[in-house]
Amino acid sequence: MSTSERAQEPKRPEDIEAVPVRRPWRWVAAAIVLVIAASIVRSVATNRNFHWDVVGHYLFDSRVLHGVLATLYLTAIAMVIGTVLGVLLAVMRRSPNPIVSGGSWLYIWFFRGTPLLVQLFFWEFIAALYSTIDIGVPFGPSFIHLHSNSVITLFGAAILGLGLNEGAYMAEIVRAGIISVDEGQTEAAQSLGLSRLQTMRRIVLPQAMRVILPPTGNETISMLKNTSLVSVIGYADLLFEVQQIYGATYQTIPLLIVASIWYLALTSVAYVGQYFLERRFGRGFSRAERATMRARWLGRGGVTAG
Amino acid sequence: MRTWRIWLAVPVSLLCAAAVAACGSSSSSSSTSSTPASSSTSTTAAPSANAAVAKLVPAAIKSKGTLTVAADATYAPNEFIAPDGHTVIGMDADLSNALAGVMGLKATISNVKFDAIIPGLAAGKYDMGASSFTDTKVREKTVDFVDYFVAGESFYTKAQGGTTISGIAALCGHTVAVETTTTEQTDAQTQSATCKKAGKPAVTVLVLGDQNAANLAVASGRAQLGFADTPVAAYQVKKTNGQFKLVGQTFSAAPYGLALPKKSGMAPAVLAALKVLMSNGTYTSILTKWGVQSGAIPVSGVKINGAIS
Repeated sequence: MSTSERAQEPKRPEDIEAVPVRRPWRWVAAAIVLVIAASIVRSVATNRNFHWDVVGHYLFDSRVLHGVLATLYLTAIAMVIGTVLGVLLAVMRRSPNPIVSGGSWLYIWFFRGTPLLVQLFFWEFIAALYSTIDIGVPFGPSFIHLHSNSVITLFGAAILGLGLNEGAYMAEIVRAGIISVDEGQTEAAQSLGLSRLQTMRRIVLPQAMRVILPPTGNETISMLKNTSLVSVIGYADLLFEVQQIYGATYQTIPLLIVASIWYLALTSVAYVGQYFLERRFGRGFSRAERATMRARWLGRGGVTAG
Repeated sequence: MRTWRIWLAVPVSLLCAAAVAACGSSSSSSSTSSTPASSSTSTTAAPSANAAVAKLVPAAIKSKGTLTVAADATYAPNEFIAPDGHTVIGMDADLSNALAGVMGLKATISNVKFDAIIPGLAAGKYDMGASSFTDTKVREKTVDFVDYFVAGESFYTKAQGGTTISGIAALCGHTVAVETTTTEQTDAQTQSATCKKAGKPAVTVLVLGDQNAANLAVASGRAQLGFADTPVAAYQVKKTNGQFKLVGQTFSAAPYGLALPKKSGMAPAVLAALKVLMSNGTYTSILTKWGVQSGAIPVSGVKINGAIS
C-alpha cells in the first residue's frame, strides 16, 4: 500500500440516473390510429344518407323505449332461466349415474344443435302439435288438461325458447368452470366428510365462478341481441318496434341505426356489470400488478390485469 | 416426417375440388331475410319484344338488359317458391316475366322480405316490386304504381273449431294473424281502434314476419282468424284440403299495383307493356293458370297511381 493511494479517496460512484426506455414509435402509432378514427367519425357524422335527424327524432320515441324495456326484460329472464338450467345440467353431466348424465347430454345436444329461430317457432306454434297439455301418471290416466295456447302465451314462448336454448350453452360453460377447480379441493372436502351436494354447493361452485363469469358475461351480451329473434314470432321487442315504425315510414336505415345505438348502449352497461362481478369473484387470485395507463405507456408497470 | 405431408394433401385437395365445384355451380338459393335479396331466374318463356314498348324503356335499364324484380315469395298463388326450393313462381312472377319480355328485357325475380321491398325500390336496389302490393295513397308517396289487378281482403279460419265472423266489423275481441306491413295489418289495427271507441273489446293483432308464419298461427290456434288478400286466402283453403275455410264478407276491393321507383321513368313502359299483354290474351291466360281470373281488370282500369284509399 502506497501513501498516494491512501491519500486519494476512492471515487464514489455517481447516482444512477434511471430513465425509462424511450419509445418514440408509440407516439407515431398512436397518432396514426387517432387520425384514422377521426376521419371515420367525421365521414359518418357528415354523411347525409344516415339521416341523423331522423335517428335523433326516433331515439327516444315511446315505442322504441317500450321495445328497449321489453328487450331488457326478456334478456334478464332468459339469462336467469338459462343459468339455473345450466348449473343443473352441468351437475347432471358430472353425475356418475349414466342415465342422468346421458339425459343431460341429450338435452345439450338437441338444444345446441337446432337453430334458436326454429325453437322459438316451435314454442309459439306448439298447439299445432300438442293442442292440450295433459298432466297425470306417465303412460297412465291424466288428471289435468290445459290448453297449450293458454299456458304458453306469446311471452311464454319467447322466454321458453330463449331460456331453454341458453340453458344448453350455459351448461357447457358451468361444466368448464367445474372442471377448472382442482380435484384436490373435492378430495379434501370428501375427506372432511362433506356430501357430494355440499361439496358442489360450498366448495366447487364458488371457486368455479371465477372461470364461469367471463363467458357468462359474453352470453348475456349475446342474449341481448338474440332477443331480437322474437320479432319474427310477433313479440314486441326493440327490433319489432323499429320494424313497425320503418314499415310505415320507409326510413329503414335511420331506424335500424336507432336500434343499433340502443343495443350498443345496453351492451356497454353489461360490460360495467361484468367488470364489477369479475372483480368480486377474482379476489385473492391474481398476483399481477395492476399497471396504470400512464405506467404502461411509459414502459413501466407490470402485467396488465385482465 | 413425410407421412404427415401426404395426409395433409388429401384434405387440401378435397377443399380445392370443392371450391372449384362451388364456383362452377349456380349460386341461387332464396331465403327470406330483412334486406338482402337472393336471385333466382324464373323458367317460363318470355314473349317476344314489342318495338314500340321497348322504346319507352329508360336507357339505364335498357342497357342493363335485365329487369330486377322483388317479390315476397310467401304469398301463394301470387308469388311463392317452386318445389325446386329456390325459383319464385306465381301470378306475379309470370306477369313480371311477360312484361319484361314485351319490353325487350329479361326478368330476374328475387325473394325479398315484404317490408324490405319498397325501401329497396326507393334505394334503387330493385327495378320493380311485384308482390301483391295494394296501391294505397300512403305508399304512392314513396313509389309509383301501375295498377294491374283488383283484390279484396278475406278472413280464413280453421275448418274444425274455427271462429266464424260476418266481416271486419265483427272482428272486435278476436285475435287475427297478419303479415307485417300489409294493408291487412293496417285495416285490422284501424278496426281495433274503432272497436275500442265503440266500447267493445279491442282486436288482438298478431303481426308475424311472413304469411307462412301467419298461416301457422291460425293452424295452431294462436290466432282465431287469418287475414290476407282474397286470392291468397282462397288458394290456402284450396291447397290445405279442408284444413281452413273462408269466412265473412270480402273487405275493401282495392287495386294491386306493380311498384316502381319514383324517378325511374319505368311507369309508362310498364303501362304500355301491360296493355299489350291484355290485348294479346297473355294477361288472361296467366290469371286463369293460377285461378285468380276473378281479379282481372279491363284495359281502362290500367293506370298509374290509381289508389282509391
